[in-house]
Amino acid sequence: MATQDDDTLTGSVPDPDTEPAPAELAHARRFAELVDKTLSGRTPPAMSADDRALLEVATVIRATHGSVELAPSQERQVVEDALRQAIGAPAPSRGAAVPIARARVRRWVPWIVAGTSTLVAAAAVAMLWLRAPAGTGHESPVARRAEVPPEWTSRPADSLVGPIARDHAGDASARIDAIFADRLDGFRARRLARGGKP
Amino acid sequence: MASEPATTVELELEQEQRLVEEAQQGNLDAMRPILERYAGPLYGTVILPRLGDAASAEEVLRDTLATAVEKIRRFTWQGKSIYPWLRQIAINKVYDVHRQSKRSRRLADAMVHEIDVETDPASHADAQLIADQERRAHRERIDETLRHLQDRYRTAIELRLIQELSREDCARRLGVTIGTFDVLLFRAVRAFRKHFGEYAERAEPPRTGDT
Repeated sequence: MATQDDDTLTGSVPDPDTEPAPAELAHARRFAELVDKTLSGRTPPAMSADDRALLEVATVIRATHGSVELAPSQERQVVEDALRQAIGAPAPSRGAAVPIARARVRRWVPWIVAGTSTLVAAAAVAMLWLRAPAGTGHESPVARRAEVPPEWTSRPADSLVGPIARDHAGDASARIDAIFADRLDGFRARRLARGGKP
Repeated sequence: MASEPATTVELELEQEQRLVEEAQQGNLDAMRPILERYAGPLYGTVILPRLGDAASAEEVLRDTLATAVEKIRRFTWQGKSIYPWLRQIAINKVYDVHRQSKRSRRLADAMVHEIDVETDPASHADAQLIADQERRAHRERIDETLRHLQDRYRTAIELRLIQELSREDCARRLGVTIGTFDVLLFRAVRAFRKHFGEYAERAEPPRTGDT
């Protein structure tokens, strides 16, 4: 059996006085709301194919009687987009019209930035190479190893503790005391080397 | 009403020719005043009445103008406005849309059916004349279709879609409830669509251009 929606576009249209079926009543109300929204410039993007077809008829009637026109701002935007499309530049976000001349410049900006960066990097490499000739004997202070006594440095405690026999495994406190004493000696030696100052 | 192009006010023929020549020499920005001038008439009298969908019409207008800018070097100045050339591009774009979307063939043909206007290159028909003539022809087709509708259907369309009265006002004028008016309008648009398609079947098949 054909439903109301099936024959909306192709079925015969009843006379004005024919009592509507509930389905037709509901569809008519839905269409009336679509017309409402369209008249106020808020046409919903999603609707059934039947509704869209009928709404197009309504818009054709309105357009022919001059009731539909493009707002000046929309018109400017369309022109701007068309010019941009023609020169192959990407479209900007809505509402942000950029003159075509500036758009043309913008198209080259990434290339200009990339080119400039490459040149600067090449110049920096060349300068480093020219300013640091090999074999001058001037070593960087960072590269020089600090000459300090071993007791001032961080070092393993293996030599102090030695291998731990199984039956001395519980003497951890004694081992910690030995390590502590060794490190305290190092601290004192360093402090004395500075005349008692920390 | 969509703004119609004027012949002598802002963009006289000489100025238009100069801008076209500038664009043909590579300054595409010279097309801007021309496009701004004719975007409205193209939308209101050429594209929207053939498509019926504002969003698609805006898209087609954008494509039309972009194509015009891209192909401006192919345009030959023949002593008359560039508008007929733009119009032909727009009509071809509309055909493409109808071909791509699988709409009801009858209505699509009705909507895209080209109205004969003076586009003879030898003539000096200007943009305003063409737009006016086109608007009149569209309107005659719509009015002719309306005449075939039952009185109440015709009135429903006139009140709601042409005069743009609210549903409440329309219902009051017709002495019915809003729900009944909704049904009347729904049936009226369906009836219009049916008759409009039949009108198109009696008319000549659409003409294709080569732009």
